[in-house]
Amino acid sequence: MLLRLITWPYVRKHALRTMLTLAGIALGVAVFVGMNSANASVLRAFSQTIDQIAGRAELQVTSGETGFAEDVLDRVQSVPSVRVAVPVIEAVADPHIRGEGSLLILGVDLIGDRNLRDYDLESGDDAVIDDPLVFLAQPDSIMLSRAFADKNHIAAGDRLTLGTAEGDRTFSVRGVMKAGGLASAFGGNLAVMDIYAAQKMFGRGRTFDRIDVALTPGRTIAESTRELETALGSGFQIAPPSGRGQQFESMIAGYSLMMNASSVFALFIGMFIIYNSFATAVSERRKEIGVLRALGASRRQVRLLFLLESAVAGLVGSLAGIIAGTFIARGIAASIGGLIHDVYGVARQAVHATATPGLLAVSLAIGIGTSMIAAWIPARAAAAVDPVRALQKGGDVSLSSGETRARLVLAAVSALGSTGCLLLDRSGALFYASYVLATLFAMLLTPFLSVGLMRLLRPLLKWVRPVEGTLAADSLIQAPRRTSGSVAALMLSFALVVAFAGMARSTYGSLVDWMNTTLNPDLFVMPSPDIAVRNVRFPSTMSDELAALPGIETVQVVRQARVVFQQTPIMLLAVDLLSIERTARARVTDGNASDMVRAGAAGKGILVSDNFAQLRRLKVGDLLELPAPAGVIRLPIVGVIVDYSDQQGSILIDRTVFQRYWNDDSVNFFRVYLASGASLADVKRRILERFAGRRQVFVLNNGELRDYILKIATQWFALTYVQVAVATLIAVLGIVNMLTVSITDRRRELGVLRAVGASNNQIRRTIWMEALCTSALGLALGYALGAINLYYALEIVRQDVAGMRLDYEFPIGVALAVMPVMFAAAFVAALWPAESAVRGSLVEALEYE
Amino acid sequence: MIELEHVGKRFERSRGVAALDDVTLTIERGEIVSVVGPSGSGKSTFLNLIGGLDRPTSGHIRVGGQALHDLSDDELTRLRRDTVGFIFQFFNLLPTLTCLENVGLPLHLRGWPRRRVEATARELLTLVQLGSRLHDRPEELSGGERQRVAIARALSINPPVILADEPTGNLDTHTGEQILALLRDLQERLNSTVVIVTHDLTVAASCPRTIALRDGRVVEDLRR
Repeated sequence: MLLRLITWPYVRKHALRTMLTLAGIALGVAVFVGMNSANASVLRAFSQTIDQIAGRAELQVTSGETGFAEDVLDRVQSVPSVRVAVPVIEAVADPHIRGEGSLLILGVDLIGDRNLRDYDLESGDDAVIDDPLVFLAQPDSIMLSRAFADKNHIAAGDRLTLGTAEGDRTFSVRGVMKAGGLASAFGGNLAVMDIYAAQKMFGRGRTFDRIDVALTPGRTIAESTRELETALGSGFQIAPPSGRGQQFESMIAGYSLMMNASSVFALFIGMFIIYNSFATAVSERRKEIGVLRALGASRRQVRLLFLLESAVAGLVGSLAGIIAGTFIARGIAASIGGLIHDVYGVARQAVHATATPGLLAVSLAIGIGTSMIAAWIPARAAAAVDPVRALQKGGDVSLSSGETRARLVLAAVSALGSTGCLLLDRSGALFYASYVLATLFAMLLTPFLSVGLMRLLRPLLKWVRPVEGTLAADSLIQAPRRTSGSVAALMLSFALVVAFAGMARSTYGSLVDWMNTTLNPDLFVMPSPDIAVRNVRFPSTMSDELAALPGIETVQVVRQARVVFQQTPIMLLAVDLLSIERTARARVTDGNASDMVRAGAAGKGILVSDNFAQLRRLKVGDLLELPAPAGVIRLPIVGVIVDYSDQQGSILIDRTVFQRYWNDDSVNFFRVYLASGASLADVKRRILERFAGRRQVFVLNNGELRDYILKIATQWFALTYVQVAVATLIAVLGIVNMLTVSITDRRRELGVLRAVGASNNQIRRTIWMEALCTSALGLALGYALGAINLYYALEIVRQDVAGMRLDYEFPIGVALAVMPVMFAAAFVAALWPAESAVRGSLVEALEYE
Repeated sequence: MIELEHVGKRFERSRGVAALDDVTLTIERGEIVSVVGPSGSGKSTFLNLIGGLDRPTSGHIRVGGQALHDLSDDELTRLRRDTVGFIFQFFNLLPTLTCLENVGLPLHLRGWPRRRVEATARELLTLVQLGSRLHDRPEELSGGERQRVAIARALSINPPVILADEPTGNLDTHTGEQILALLRDLQERLNSTVVIVTHDLTVAASCPRTIALRDGRVVEDLRR
């Protein structure tokens, strides 16, 4: 009843402000829903693909990305609890169809595979299924999914050209699989071919990527896992298909952490808008609350009224945010998919971003909860209103001495707590507690700092515009409650901008430094135009052929693959350490440069990247156990170097060690140094000519590879910048909100100004200056908090996200660039409020109380 | 100085009831006129119209020979800035500004140089006997002192017309008398036209001319 009688008329009267409050909630929730559902959809799509491909497999035997020798299949099949064991090769091929993306090729042995997977053909030659020998006999055979065939108007009997390790090869489409199940994997972009043909086409030699296992009836997964572990030894991962999804999740954990943290930050900033709205509503409606209290409303009823209002606002704003977030998610999902492909090498696939009912419920709860938390203090203040005082004139925009004292005490406690936590432990929960307390400290001090800064600025403003400047400054000084909400929202936004910009700047700096010292070959010879693709490889014999070409001085082979280390896929780099040392000088952070290379080359030690060491708290001398198919490599870390080959860090071993333990001499790419005086273009041409028709070869020069790496870094930060933009937008909404309230509060004051002869432009200027001053306060405090925020952000990157030790560099360029943007945004935000200030009736303004 | 010719004002929100109805009168330069009438008689509307704060719905108003109905918003603003000094019942001083700043406000709005603004404001505050309270803020002053500051502000532009809306309404009798005496004194010195809206018959009786309004019409125009 109170909602209808009291709240509804207020909402109708202040429709714009209500809309702004709702927009604040909606934007915060939209970002949260968009980011989370996009992220979850990408993860879900990956897991679904695993499940759909797994078919009825109960266990999968893998060895990271390296694969293993064919004879492992016999050992798996000999395990008693294994009923069926079939080998699989997964590769991604380019079908050269514009806009179609990649095609996931599943290489299977059709003889045994039908025990685990259904290959229902809709059209084509059923004989290929009924008699797999037909398929085997024709190594150019493939089967396509219904979805892919339909999209590209391909029918059984047609031919399709695919990019393979051996160059472009044309395949005959022998059948089209019915939709659903396996055919839906990888967003429907799936083709099946014979495993031995796949080995050849994708440079696998005599290895398989994986073995899918179905158990003997009556045997459990745990029993079978144990038996397989015993039979195979170390270096293999034996887990249900869902285990691969978990590995994927752990691999991108750092990325997810950043995504989630910044979406929560956006929500947090939205919270300030809500707090500000409700705090000013309480201030404006003091008289109304006083009447209610005088008429017998209890404190509880008043508090409930405001909390109920906030819950309804939260509900409406969240629903709008969920709808907007669902749309946003579609765009973000594609971007995340691309980024995960580029950074982690996970095949890009079509993702249909949808929010799960669980996420929707959580978002709704967060939206409503955030609103209610933000409204809690204003609701309490409303309930505490003394009826007699409330019925007197004047608003309540200043802070009471009690509140001032409480804020200062809490700020001091937060500052001490933050420093204490940091001194006790610079990692883990205490570190994060210190971060939260430092932010809380800044927020608690915002009203005092805003007023203090404004007092300092007042003379300057008065000097610039004696009337407008003075009144703008006084308006902000006199109403710290009204001002501080918007300033705090701006401060948090800018602190976020500074942190991200600082991180980006340091990251780019570190990457460039690394590329200058380590990534210095003239050319990179690769089997795929896509650097992230690792499942197409060269045979090692190509090395000699390359080295023999005129103009080439040195060829270095690089084998890189993810191996599972402590349940997380980690990048393993196998190189000729001695050769690399002669051409590139990696920056050493722990250990002696020449000793570590000698020990590594002799197979007596392992080198790790600095980010790997940071993330896992490792140092020189620590023993590393690396499971490999031929046994566990137990070697000490002999050196820590700066290497950003992978975001999660990398382990470097000598190529001879890799060959011994993985029985694999294939190559991911070649590093090529030209002879003195040789022409880059000529050598590139010679390489392409040498392998034309035999191999799919792509040659990138140093600049192209650098650009690619920097592009990935840019992509990495792009999504977070979107969130920063949203946070800033929310903060700007806060300015509009604050100014609308300010104009209402100062209606009489502005009326007097107009009565004594202020022109409309002079009134407008007063409002504009108030907006610009708010922005200036937000910027000043934001930069100060940003400087602190950057420290924490760099530490989080080092400890939990990427392990990169980034230098602290305040992003002065961005800070300066943001200034005019924010002043312009504040000016735009002030346009409408300024117009409303000059449009109102002068007589009513002077009568207004 | 002020001429009203068949002036009417209707407010839509009052369902078309006339706040002023066919008012015709003239106030000469240097006159002190009180306007009286019960609540809702149209006193404040009358003041707002001649002060250029509002526009009539019918008829014509001239202030200093200038027809108000022809003026744009900006021109009305200029008229208020250059011709009219307002004194309000609730003083309407800006609480964050000192006495000096409040009095100097209209001069700043006219774009006067800072030094000249400050000198004039000092002079005016001394004139209203507040020379020792230049840097006090309104909250530090008594009601009478606040109204003196408001009068000084109204006089700052040396206006030919001073409009006072219940200038003693918020003051005790003794202070009210002092304020009226001050207004009369200043009017004599500056030869301004002063229009005082009041419901206080003692205040009205102290003025040489009283116009009585009822239901938006002039029911009496008494000259003493």
